[in-house]
Amino acid sequence: MEYKNETVSIDGGWPLSTWQWKMESIALIQKSLEALKKKKLLGLKCPGCGLVYFLPKPYCRCLSIPDEWVEIKDTGTITTFTFSGAWAYEGIEEEGATGTPLIIVGIVLDGSDTMTVCTLEDVEPEKVSVGMRIKLKWPEELLGRLDDIAHCVPA
Amino acid sequence: MAKKEVAVVGVGLSKHVSKRRDVNIAEMVWEAVSACYEDAGLKPKDTDAFITGNMPAFEGVNLPEEWGAGHWGAYAKPLLRITTGGTTGGSVAHGGYYAVASGLYDIVMCIAFEKQSDGNSTMGLNTVALADAAAQFQLGVDPGFMAAFGGGAVGVAVYQASSYMKSSGCTTQHLDKVAALCRNNAALNPYSHLKQPGLTPEEVAKTTLLQYPIRFGHVCPATDGACAMLFTTGEKARKMMDKPAYVLSVSSCSDEAAMVGIAGSGTTNTDPCVQEGCKIAAARAYELAGIKEPRREIDLAEPYAPFAHQMLMFYERLLLCDEGDAPSILDSGSMGLDGELPVCPSGGVISTNAIGASAMERVAEAAMQIMGKCGERQVKKEVRKAVAHGWGGAVNFNVVAVLSDTPRR
Repeated sequence: MEYKNETVSIDGGWPLSTWQWKMESIALIQKSLEALKKKKLLGLKCPGCGLVYFLPKPYCRCLSIPDEWVEIKDTGTITTFTFSGAWAYEGIEEEGATGTPLIIVGIVLDGSDTMTVCTLEDVEPEKVSVGMRIKLKWPEELLGRLDDIAHCVPA
Repeated sequence: MAKKEVAVVGVGLSKHVSKRRDVNIAEMVWEAVSACYEDAGLKPKDTDAFITGNMPAFEGVNLPEEWGAGHWGAYAKPLLRITTGGTTGGSVAHGGYYAVASGLYDIVMCIAFEKQSDGNSTMGLNTVALADAAAQFQLGVDPGFMAAFGGGAVGVAVYQASSYMKSSGCTTQHLDKVAALCRNNAALNPYSHLKQPGLTPEEVAKTTLLQYPIRFGHVCPATDGACAMLFTTGEKARKMMDKPAYVLSVSSCSDEAAMVGIAGSGTTNTDPCVQEGCKIAAARAYELAGIKEPRREIDLAEPYAPFAHQMLMFYERLLLCDEGDAPSILDSGSMGLDGELPVCPSGGVISTNAIGASAMERVAEAAMQIMGKCGERQVKKEVRKAVAHGWGGAVNFNVVAVLSDTPRR
């Protein structure tokens, strides 16, 4: 039988908006998101080992239930990074790359023990490094969405 | 403690290429399975149980054992399917070890495979990321940012690579060197996919940049291929052949997902290059194997490294040197086929990645090097003890196996 190299399309959908993996987790996170409207970062602290989760998590890696809401700071440290769009770093450049240059960083906010991902702004790519100190850049209008904390600048 | 000594008495591999259009999945897998039976001098009727594994739905079909079993001689036999992401093949080998070590079965056929060209691997990966991505969208993340953040396995690997490079002093030149070393080894391996004899680091450095710091030349291909291994008791193995490869120990470790926590929550696994789970699994595997000084006692390593930096990073996390020392060890030349501690003599996952099979192919290479069956790529030194590794999940799951030419005393 001859192999036909053709793609057959079948209509279908993937309703991501209806998918909720863990209601408990979403309910906790919504409390943190609500607090963002007041420029407050609320993390959840574990009574067993003291780890602070931001965004909050319904169970700790030590299997205790984190239950103490604590305010964490809007400053932190970069743990990892990469670039998107057109950029240059340490003599490396993405050939022919176009689009808004974005520096994407993983950060740990002071007072928390978890990683969150955002873009680093107002800095040349060459200056980025692991261990660099940053501060969140709050938008003028706070909407209580993750987007509110999706940007940071060097501290 | 294991009730029985466990040994590998046969290894079989199919041809590994990007698109197998001449065979279907069951037929492709049979190439590996039949080669394995032949290698061991056994027949399907001799087999007591089967362990199989591949990625769920990467081929666009699921329950492959339903129709594969008939093709592999597994009807009316115990069969178990294991699927743990990138570590699948390693977990299948662990399954074979457990089945024999426990005393439950004498001869176990382990089968791991992937026929990526039949389906859509990105679709498969999306099922892995669905819970987290869907939650993030609900919580108000701009889809544009999610796209820039990076999709698929490369998106995860770049963050690991950049933090590893900052903490170890590994440079982009080291990444180029790793790729050149592996692809040259692969050129000597009849079962590898990307064979690039004579490839130089300079040529790798000219390949397209995918996302900082990873270039096209630093990344594995998508492969169709299968691997099969026969595990049996030490007692039976000694009757069958002069030089079986003994599996001294297996160990795995599951850690918290890195980068993004479950359903949008924070993860305390804050640096994707730390790989604490690999260190825990390796330490436990060495202890179970009676190895006190892995740096002195391990002769060969097959770390799971689909991305160039991972060969160096996992060499360190497998406790084979101090953290941050792997790049200079690479420079010294000791990781080559004629080196003091050859790494990825098969050409590694960076040269051949039939995902579900890959972590078992690390165990298979370790076994074949010990048995002296590697032909042109057989390493110069005598291999008495080797470590095989697998990595998967949301950069959080590690499997380690230690093999030897002699059973544990």
